[in-house]
Amino acid sequence: MTKIQIVLMAGVAGLGFMGAGLLGARLVNRLALLGLMSLGLVSIAFPDMTTEVARALGVGRGTDLLLYLWIVTGCFACLLLYARIRRMERKVTLLTREIALRDARETEAVR
Amino acid sequence: MVFVVVPCFNEGAVVRETVEELLAEGVRVVVVDDGSERPAADSCGDLPIDILRHGVNLGQGAALQTGVEFALWAGAQYIIHFDADGQHDPTAIAGIVALLRGGSVDVVLGSRFLDPSLARDVPLGKRLVLRGGILVSWLFSGMLLTDTHNGLRGFTRAAAERVRLTEDGFGHATEILGEIRRAGLRYCEVPVLVRYTEYSKAKGQRLSNSLNVLIDLVLRKLIA
Repeated sequence: MTKIQIVLMAGVAGLGFMGAGLLGARLVNRLALLGLMSLGLVSIAFPDMTTEVARALGVGRGTDLLLYLWIVTGCFACLLLYARIRRMERKVTLLTREIALRDARETEAVR
Repeated sequence: MVFVVVPCFNEGAVVRETVEELLAEGVRVVVVDDGSERPAADSCGDLPIDILRHGVNLGQGAALQTGVEFALWAGAQYIIHFDADGQHDPTAIAGIVALLRGGSVDVVLGSRFLDPSLARDVPLGKRLVLRGGILVSWLFSGMLLTDTHNGLRGFTRAAAERVRLTEDGFGHATEILGEIRRAGLRYCEVPVLVRYTEYSKAKGQRLSNSLNVLIDLVLRKLIA
């Protein structure tokens, strides 16, 4: 095992632990996290495996395959986050409006 | 009763002038302070108007929607959108209300280009940006108007109840048109004078911001 493999595997393990804390107790999330972590660890431990998978899919090198997958998932992640931020903005708007209206109605009632 | 909704954000003293002009028209004024650093209540608190305040800045679309909801709650029969910066002529309101009262239209939209003699003072850069806005609104809402980003609009109560604004920022100008079309409301444009004071020019929309509004509209159309 080379030094970089040790560093990368430690990194993946660390991400796994942090993720477990952040994602909470939902079984789906936990299983997905566990799956991703194992996939990461295996592909670091046996780098030739990703190349074999890449070849089978018609891509030259394992690193290229990872890059392509990374770009696609990255874009998806951005869109999902954007949609989530939109929903949050919407809630802030409704909440702010509700407070403004409530205050104004109270003032009106006092008059 | 005619309610005039005036959204404002960091307008300072000019709001008071606008509100006083409006009060002279015998309408009820609802100022929506969209999280200004100095609350609008500081400058207008002593006037016989309703002031609503957003705790955080949301954008003009959100402020209009808040004001309209309050006006509906308070029993408005006619609701007018009116910019705070003094660019609109308050005496135009009577004409707009008369049109709505006539019953042939549900929505009246102010246009600074409908009457060429009123459009003379529109600065060239502004004119180009507004032409762009007309094109964008046509693409998004299918309504071809002469001025899509005019802050002076009038609604009957029934129409105001059916137009729901979810665009917080300046995308609401296009969104309003989409809502009018979706709800099948009858509308017309009326020529209005826009007073380009130094203040309103400085405060007005920049070209870069217009592009931002466009990008927002496209993104939000794609990702609900």
